[in-house]
Amino acid sequence: MTTLILAMLAAGADAVPLDSAVAKVLQTNCVACHRQGKAKGGLRLDTSEGLAKGGNSGPAIVPGKSSESRLMRAVSGTDSELSMPPKPRKSLSGQEAGILASWIDKGARWNDSTRLVASGQEAEPTKPHWAFQPVKRPKVPGDAVSLAAIDAFLRQRLASEGLSPSPEADRPTLLRRVWLDLTGLPPTLEEIRLYEGDQAQGAYERMVDRAMDSPHFGERWARHWLDLARYADSDGYEKDTARPNAFRYRDWVIEAFNANMPFDRFALEQLAGDMIPGSGPSQRQATGFHRNTLTNKEGGVDQEQFRVEAVVDRVNTTARVFLGLTLGCSQCHDHKYDPFSQREYYEMFAFFNSDAEIDLPVGQGPEHAVWQKAMDAHAAKVGQTEDRLKTLKASGDAKAVAAAEKDLAALKKSAPKPPVMPTLARGPERPTHVMIRGDFLRKGTIVSAGTPAVLPPLNTGAQPTRLDLARWLTGPENPLTSRVIVNWFWSKLFGRGIVATLEDFGTQGEAPSHPELLDWLAHSYRLDGWDTKRFLKRLMVSAAYRQSSAWRADLGEKDPYNRLVGRQSRLRLEAEAVRDVCLAASGLLSRKVGGPSVRPPQPAGISELTYANSAKWVESKGEDRHRRGLYTWFQRTSPYPMLMTFDAPDANVCVMRRERSTTPLQALTLLNDPVFFECAVSLGAILKAESGSDASRLRQGMLRSTGRPPSLDEEATLAAFLTTARAKLAGKDDAEAGAWTVVARLLLNLESVPVRE
Amino acid sequence: MMKGPVMNPVHGLARRGFLTSAASGTGLMALAHQLAGAAPVANPLSPKPSHAAPKAKACICIYLEGGPSQIDLFDPKPKLNELHGQKLPESLTKNVRFAFIQKEGARVLGSPRTFARHGGCGMELSDLLPYLSRHADDIALVRSMHTEAFNHHPGQLLMNTGAPVFGRPSMGSWLNYGLGSPSRDLPGYVVLSSGRGTSGGTSNWGSGFLPSTYQGVLFRNQGDPVLNLSNPPGVDADIQEATIRALSSLGAGQYKHLGDPEIASRVESYELAFRMQASAPELIDLSREDKRTIERYGLDRKEPAIKASRGGGPGQFRSFATNCLLARRLVERGVRFVNLFHASWDHHSNLDNELTHNCQMADQPVAALLDDLKARGMLDSTLVLWLSEFGRTPLGENRGGSSNVTGRDHHPFAFSIWMAGGGIKGGQVLGKTDEIGWSILEDPVHVNDLHATILHLFGMDHLRLTYRFQGRDFRLTDVGGKVVNKLLA
Repeated sequence: MTTLILAMLAAGADAVPLDSAVAKVLQTNCVACHRQGKAKGGLRLDTSEGLAKGGNSGPAIVPGKSSESRLMRAVSGTDSELSMPPKPRKSLSGQEAGILASWIDKGARWNDSTRLVASGQEAEPTKPHWAFQPVKRPKVPGDAVSLAAIDAFLRQRLASEGLSPSPEADRPTLLRRVWLDLTGLPPTLEEIRLYEGDQAQGAYERMVDRAMDSPHFGERWARHWLDLARYADSDGYEKDTARPNAFRYRDWVIEAFNANMPFDRFALEQLAGDMIPGSGPSQRQATGFHRNTLTNKEGGVDQEQFRVEAVVDRVNTTARVFLGLTLGCSQCHDHKYDPFSQREYYEMFAFFNSDAEIDLPVGQGPEHAVWQKAMDAHAAKVGQTEDRLKTLKASGDAKAVAAAEKDLAALKKSAPKPPVMPTLARGPERPTHVMIRGDFLRKGTIVSAGTPAVLPPLNTGAQPTRLDLARWLTGPENPLTSRVIVNWFWSKLFGRGIVATLEDFGTQGEAPSHPELLDWLAHSYRLDGWDTKRFLKRLMVSAAYRQSSAWRADLGEKDPYNRLVGRQSRLRLEAEAVRDVCLAASGLLSRKVGGPSVRPPQPAGISELTYANSAKWVESKGEDRHRRGLYTWFQRTSPYPMLMTFDAPDANVCVMRRERSTTPLQALTLLNDPVFFECAVSLGAILKAESGSDASRLRQGMLRSTGRPPSLDEEATLAAFLTTARAKLAGKDDAEAGAWTVVARLLLNLESVPVRE
Repeated sequence: MMKGPVMNPVHGLARRGFLTSAASGTGLMALAHQLAGAAPVANPLSPKPSHAAPKAKACICIYLEGGPSQIDLFDPKPKLNELHGQKLPESLTKNVRFAFIQKEGARVLGSPRTFARHGGCGMELSDLLPYLSRHADDIALVRSMHTEAFNHHPGQLLMNTGAPVFGRPSMGSWLNYGLGSPSRDLPGYVVLSSGRGTSGGTSNWGSGFLPSTYQGVLFRNQGDPVLNLSNPPGVDADIQEATIRALSSLGAGQYKHLGDPEIASRVESYELAFRMQASAPELIDLSREDKRTIERYGLDRKEPAIKASRGGGPGQFRSFATNCLLARRLVERGVRFVNLFHASWDHHSNLDNELTHNCQMADQPVAALLDDLKARGMLDSTLVLWLSEFGRTPLGENRGGSSNVTGRDHHPFAFSIWMAGGGIKGGQVLGKTDEIGWSILEDPVHVNDLHATILHLFGMDHLRLTYRFQGRDFRLTDVGGKVVNKLLA
């Protein structure tokens, strides 16, 4: 049964073959996992070289000393951390262990070129996991032209299940859907008029174009991207120190989306902007992507531990965002499900291990000019003080001289600090070790930078860099990045991905519902030069996107998760958009784009939860109270409660898919939070000031809050509520204004306000 | 068993609202739902069966942030007074990392505390805990806890979520996810905080990757107990009720029109919010508690002055005592998990004064809580925990080489916690440390073991309570955990 298969290569003159009894023990117990193509723990036991080289934790054997050999510790079962073979495989018998021990004690002689093959495992299953296979352009079903390709794929599948797509949604629904999806804001009154007025062919496409050209497009998609970038305005951990310059990275993302930067460039600048030949401040700023990792300034921490944790996060985030892989699993051990070894994890780690966190002065610009002006004023003041000191010295008044010297020293210390941006750059070279069990104190074998073997090779020189890695990610051979990214875009417009596990394209992720469509999209995106706006428009002009989202009993039964896209999905908006929609409906929204993060009102007692109450919440003034949700200061240990109540991620790790919960705390927020009540007051005042009947004012209010006019039933309910409100408030000061405020509060709490139909 | 929303259709449906839950009352939505002939849907927080018959039905977890000194409270080490001022053999400290201690000059620090035996079991407890000492026969004292984390935040995350990293669900989230909550008008997981604020903030009671329905809801003991619970100025209860009714009616119409169960869920959440507006103020209104109860908990005790801000400044005695009383009231009203935090017990310096002060604050109300639960017949089904992220060193802390040693550094290798009620075998000391309290000699209990035991008391198998996230089935006990049978009644 145990056939020793010898792959005899040119054997040297003094070649010593492996003792056949020893070979049998290794073949029966070890070689299945420790061999070419699957070196668990970095160890190969199928060749003499592999045995001599050892694994991630170090040498496997010490010739002549079985008691000091890791191999013997592993197979003897004396070491709970290193017990081999792993369960459920059978342990070695005493006789087998004895054969190994005595062979080691006799010098472990073996130096010929035999390659052992595991007993009973001659052939390997060969077909790789779907996501690791190259992206191919599939044939579009039927004779559809490419514009309708998306629908051709979807309809073919629906038809095969005996289902039909839903009809197109009505115009007001489409208008609000497009503007919410592309800008995160409802259409303005002006846009509503424009779209209503345009009844010609192509009106929908023109409307999509207008939304894409809006500066709010960048804000919307930046916010999506910031979830991946785990962006926040503070360090995290105990001290959770402020990061007043983090916003520059956020603004870079907004600008990149607005400028429709091709995605391959977008990826390149964020991962390796410092290394692109001829790179400038903007590319440096992009590397802020990997400066969003947590920093622990707690007293007594081991700085190396948290440096390593930041690098780990950079590796895991890069793998998740661009490759859709749960590479983090192999930080401590070989991946349990996917073909990644622990050694390969640290080869990826090596790309980031020599990086340094550098805060660079921002380039020329308004901010620099402000600083320069302050600096000039300061220099003038220093000059004056120095002059005064000179005069005093001449006068011989020792006391006055001492005082002036003190002033001067203090003044010099208080020079205005230049505005800086957080960047990542190459630092001094550091060797990368495999960390045994992921423990940074337990250094294993040294590895160099490389990408996982199951993916296409990195065709570069001997010492690949972060820049090479970034290019490889969006290279034509890479089967993952384009699929992962188009799937992510798709999920934002359809409510779920073609691969539902956006963050896991490995063997434990969900299989794609429409594999051919996914490949067609991935291929098209790359073919179009990673043109994001063009890609999004391709999705949005499809009939699938324009379908009604109404629930259908037949679909509900056969396809409760709407995997087949027989209708659009009705989606609760993200936390930031919930805020934005209410501010917009009530006319309070500031449309200012970019700049430092702001602190809108929040309930008392929140920032007191931070370390020693250190993160004071000083409310912003003026229009900064009413900025969009993405500009709200994000303090990691006491995040803005409204955002968290509506499932914003905690910004500690990369998140590709937000939860959508429904809780009573959300209801309380929309009903009673001071910000939302301010919206109600403002909308109430607008409605009260409108001319026309109650009915027309109520209709106006409904349009503002939900984007659609009320039905007859709704009109009656609203009118009755207005009457009740007037009756209850009768005789009070400003009773009419109060009545319209509570009506506006009702309108802003309607079920469909925070929903994209 | 249970999986994440994408992986398992059942969970997705379970997310869809409050319709047929006990909490739904007779809202308009329930009616509309019946009219629409839709299948019943479950409230994500409605009670669910456990794996086995539970002993504990609710948990009050008292978390003393910072690492109270076990040597001065729970684990007497007279040897330290003999060795006071001496160096430890290098064999002990060789491979150890400290937060602040400088190894070269580190010296043993004795304890001024006296210990006496208490109860039928003869448990040795410090003179700083006179009230708690009367409950020696109720509590199981574990002197052999250990953890890997020796910095606060990772340590807190490990103790509260089972792993020293951000983003994992906390104990209370797991229990609510697995078992739901019998409370009709209140959230199933309530957090009460006092002191200066914990290092970990909300991550200590977060729901991590679980839906936010399961996250701890921070009640405050001043102002609104729940954020935004009060109506805005000018909106009275009548108008609020009319608003909720109108919203229900409008929601019902929309639901009939579109048929999306999520609409029902959202409108039901408004109805629960409205009930919470009514029930939460009643909860924190202590005016109907009898005077003796208030006295027993020590709400109005005189608070000694202390020159230290570590414990949160003046006002903590009342705040902590109020939280203990609120904890009982929450459990009485069906809340599954109450998490009480106080920060901080991180006595790197001035240990004697500040530990004395904190114990004066905590000892009486915690003991009163145990009394109260017992008197009401609730202790058998209510698990009470006294936890922190680690303990403190037998060595004095000589930060920066200082010779003025008045505190202790972080000690993760051996520390003490206790448990009572809810199926715990009281009147026992589990585990033994060496004569200076450096290492564990018997019955080591890892944080994951503690969590496995807690879940077991609730009838849950820690290996089967899982949630799929990012391609992995996660557990509260991460990749470890063994039920500590000796702790079970």
